[in-house]
Amino acid sequence: MSIIEATGICKTYQRGREDVCALRGVNLTIEAGEFVTIVGPSGAGKTALLNILGCLDTPSCGTLAIDGVPVTGKGEAELVKIRREHIGFVFQQFFLIPTLTVGENVGLPLIFSGSPYDRQKIESLLEKVGLSHRAEHFPGQLSGGEMQRVAIARALVNNPRILLADEPTGNLDSITADGIYRLFEELHRQGITVIVVTHNRELAQRAGRVITIRDGLVNGGC
Amino acid sequence: MNLLSFAVKNLQRRKGRTLLTIAGVAIAVAILFSLLSFSAGYERELTREMDSLGFHLLAVPKGCPYEATTLILHGGVIPKYLTNEDLARARATDGVAIAAPMLLQQVTKDGTPHIVYGIEPAVMLPLKPAWKVNGRFFSANETRVMVIGSTLAEKENLAAGSVIPFGPAQEQFTIIGVLQPTGSEDDNFHFLPLADAQRTFGKVGLITAIAVRADDVKHIPRIAEDLEKVPDIQVVTMAQVTGTIMNLVGSARSLLFSVIVIAIVISAAGITNTLLMSVNERTREIGMMKAIGASGHHIGILLIAETLLITTLGGIIGILAALAGSGIIETFVRELIPYAPSGSFVSFDPLLIGGCLLFSIGLGLLCGIYPAWKSARLSPMEAIRGEWE
Repeated sequence: MSIIEATGICKTYQRGREDVCALRGVNLTIEAGEFVTIVGPSGAGKTALLNILGCLDTPSCGTLAIDGVPVTGKGEAELVKIRREHIGFVFQQFFLIPTLTVGENVGLPLIFSGSPYDRQKIESLLEKVGLSHRAEHFPGQLSGGEMQRVAIARALVNNPRILLADEPTGNLDSITADGIYRLFEELHRQGITVIVVTHNRELAQRAGRVITIRDGLVNGGC
Repeated sequence: MNLLSFAVKNLQRRKGRTLLTIAGVAIAVAILFSLLSFSAGYERELTREMDSLGFHLLAVPKGCPYEATTLILHGGVIPKYLTNEDLARARATDGVAIAAPMLLQQVTKDGTPHIVYGIEPAVMLPLKPAWKVNGRFFSANETRVMVIGSTLAEKENLAAGSVIPFGPAQEQFTIIGVLQPTGSEDDNFHFLPLADAQRTFGKVGLITAIAVRADDVKHIPRIAEDLEKVPDIQVVTMAQVTGTIMNLVGSARSLLFSVIVIAIVISAAGITNTLLMSVNERTREIGMMKAIGASGHHIGILLIAETLLITTLGGIIGILAALAGSGIIETFVRELIPYAPSGSFVSFDPLLIGGCLLFSIGLGLLCGIYPAWKSARLSPMEAIRGEWE
């Protein structure tokens, strides 16, 4: 079954008095366990699409279903629940809390989901991203690549089926970026649906499917 | 880790700012606590001081009500006198339990005025059950003896047995007793037998005032009325004195309370500003938290928890500081108000402490609610992009 099914998604932003059309009727189906990258030039609507797929934003028109459940028209409270249960997010700027240790940063979503604060789970996730020796360190003591690994571990702590990453290697050098992609490939092998937005066509090719977005429309790969 | 420990760690990110905000709250609460505590303590001490006088009203020569008030409070000299005849009429008045004659004189020693009381021990001692004397008290017909207050004894380095030159003729007087501390103005006075005081100061047969105690407090107004019928006598009741002082203090008190209000408004504006700044700085981070599963509710609670931590901590520090620094603040307050009773105003009233803590918490809720509401309704996507204003 498709884990994400988007039909006729459009999104219009207001910028000053002008309406900016970021997405103009996107149809997209992603199967469970796929590794997909979304590429396209700046302003093509990549991030807008990712935000809608991740239930961070609502489309102006069209419908979206996550795991067969329609989500369009749902309120913020329900969207929070869907995000919490189905989706893990990774951002370009990592967004780690500087006064929390690496381990605490990974465990942060547990506070919000109301799940028990499971130290063993945090440890095993840190091990998965290769940072078990860093659990008691603070983000300021880490390199960029390490910080992104912590963010990935954090995204996985609630056992999501979908991992959404917005330019996860945008702030990293190519060797570090390669390491992050290898981690994505590993997660994909473990059955997680990985969706990555990127500028980098070379890295994008490592995914099973590359979706190109241009002028708010998806061409190829649908 | 939970939401509360997360809030604590968030506060540690801007230590300087957090500490300054806590200090702001602490100052406001310290002022609030001190002034409320002093206000309560002041009335309590004033009432206690009035009670310790032991009498309900004072008969003084006509035309001297203000001098009489001073006399009650600090001891003082009235240039007019009552006579033994007035005393007899006072004693004959219905409802009078005790009528104690007093002659007040002032002597100056080394530039400092000293108040001298001529009293009749037989009627004075029942008015002052709290008096305990080291040494002994005099009887009515002794001469050239005196009992002095404890503060005076300490200041002049005197004890029972000391002999000092005293009065206009510098006669040798023996101190036969020193009063144990009473916490009232009595601690500063010289007490002589009435007849000997009249002789020493050349006022034979003259009395400055008559302290009257009613057999029942209900009779005070009627006794006052009856005594006023004596042509020479004017009556001042303790209730009048207390009322006059409270009126005088009232204006000083409203000034102090406006200081409290201003301090609190400034502090509240500061807290709200700090929180709004911290929300603005963390907009993108708040967006991230929403993306990883925080609801608006969680964000709101987090912000409120941070505020409450600041104000509650500030409140506790403020109360402790107020208790520790109460001596200094009391000195300051004493200078501001027209009349200060001698006892300490500061009290460890648990109700007041609880009230001030509740106030700190209320202040936190009040200041935190707007920033919390503002951040709770942030759209996660707009927040992450940093486009929120």
